[in-house]
Amino acid sequence: MMALGEGAAGSYVPQRVQARVKRVSLVVVAVLVAIFVTIPVYVMVAVAVQAPQTVFAGGDVNLLVDSVTFRNFAVLFEETATVQYFTNSLIVTVSSTILSTSLAVAAGYGLTRFDFRGKTMAARAVLFSYMFSPIVLAIPLYVIFFTLGMLNSYFALTLALTGISAPFTIWLMWQYFQTVPISLEESAWVRGASRTRTLWDVVLPVARPGYVSAAIFSFAVAWNDYTMARVVMSQDEMYTITVGASLFLDRVSIGWGETMAVSLLICIPPFLIALFLQNYLLQGFNVGGLE
Amino acid sequence: MSTSTSLSTRLADIDERRLLLLATFVPLVTFFIVVWAVPILYALGMSLFTDPTGASVFVGLENYAEILTAPDFLTFLWNSVVYAVSTTVFSLLLGLALALVVNQQIKGGNVLRTMMIFPYLLPTLVVIFIWQFLFDPNLGVINQWLLDFGVIDEPIAFFSTLQWAMPAVAITSVWKFGSFAFFILLARLQAIDPNLYERARVEGASSWQSFRDITIPHLRGAILIILLVRGIWMFNKFDIIYLATRGGPLDATTTLPIRVYELAFNEVNFGGATALAGIMFFLLAMVAVVYFRLFTPEEEVAA
Repeated sequence: MMALGEGAAGSYVPQRVQARVKRVSLVVVAVLVAIFVTIPVYVMVAVAVQAPQTVFAGGDVNLLVDSVTFRNFAVLFEETATVQYFTNSLIVTVSSTILSTSLAVAAGYGLTRFDFRGKTMAARAVLFSYMFSPIVLAIPLYVIFFTLGMLNSYFALTLALTGISAPFTIWLMWQYFQTVPISLEESAWVRGASRTRTLWDVVLPVARPGYVSAAIFSFAVAWNDYTMARVVMSQDEMYTITVGASLFLDRVSIGWGETMAVSLLICIPPFLIALFLQNYLLQGFNVGGLE
Repeated sequence: MSTSTSLSTRLADIDERRLLLLATFVPLVTFFIVVWAVPILYALGMSLFTDPTGASVFVGLENYAEILTAPDFLTFLWNSVVYAVSTTVFSLLLGLALALVVNQQIKGGNVLRTMMIFPYLLPTLVVIFIWQFLFDPNLGVINQWLLDFGVIDEPIAFFSTLQWAMPAVAITSVWKFGSFAFFILLARLQAIDPNLYERARVEGASSWQSFRDITIPHLRGAILIILLVRGIWMFNKFDIIYLATRGGPLDATTTLPIRVYELAFNEVNFGGATALAGIMFFLLAMVAVVYFRLFTPEEEVAA
């Protein structure tokens, strides 16, 4: 930590040797972290795209990819309900993203543009629920859904997932709308535009980075979710991909190859988001702590 | 929102401001009542009954007493604290180390930054699959490497060995969540005025001194947020531990959230589960009081 600490203090080290030691230790730390971060992801890909007999030939795991095959993916599609699970995941994830984001846009706008007593309390309540453990919310939701006969429904899971993401998306939009100057709206009003027109044509376009971040966040929460789906969905054909795939390793016919293949599939949506929406994502990080 | 548009044009003479107010607050309030207030109150109610799904009997605080005096309670609490503290501290150290390195603008710093976001984006289930494979006693590369280098004599089943389960779960968690600390600290580091360092250098400060007197004070707030917020989240983590070990072997990785799940779905004791959830709620509320005392996040959103 000493060497690192000195590194952070700027590049003005008086002695040559000291500078070199610092340089070397920086590189060493960078390389170690890079290995720690990268190797697990690499292993996933390497196992997913090779046939089990190639990877596990001779007792030792062979991680040098020399022959790529889609065999593992084929097994997934032929022998498991992966497609069904994926469809379920997509349905609830998209629904929850739309619900959570529109809720956040409406609430965020209302909270910044209208005044009322107890706003501080509202802010604290939103933040407090953001820290809440999903499993603690899942238990009463389970009992309520059970009583209402709503278990194993897309609607129930969508509500539950939105419950987890909404506190943060609301907080995000609440903060974001404050960066939109009210004078923008006022000048539109002066020119005769109605409040709703103004909201639609002036405020929303300006707030786009805000609600794209909110949508990315709620998408990630819902796509990633295991807890809520595990509790709300108990019928095999209603499982989301995370719950469905979590049972793969208990099955004799499914090995590490197929397991890593399904992992790779699960990673595709988040990676596409990272690829195309990275800037929005970083903006989201800046406004508030992402979970 | 579109419904409010059509409504407002049709009812043009009704105060538009009031309509907009309704359109923004009705969904918010309805949603919070349905998905947060009702379940939480319902849970608090359930915690006062035995078997609330069948013939429920009001038992007052008996469930709470039972949970708190159970011989295992302190074990579960201890596991939660060990898990939360170790993962938070190591995420902080990992994030700090890397943030300081990337902030130096060494070659490949941008690549490192992009790489750090990967584990964070991977769904928890995938993270668990990967690490279960890496730690696998027969096929896992970690055991192979440790054997090759002579560190161990025989493979270790990390996730199912009493003394290794918790460290293995913690390492997995740090791998996934280290980037949280990294991004917050990096943002803070890049906001420090470079002139401060220049002035310190001119006045003859060593690099250690300027690290201590400039960098650390600027990071203090961010470190506090990471310790508090990350700590709360890790204390509440359910999925990563449950997927990795189901709370086992024995109770080695059973934290309070895992115990809540076990009580509800393995032992069908919803009174006990909700009582324990109530206890967690109380602990969280106490930490939240500290949080709102130290920071005033609601001031960030104009009150």
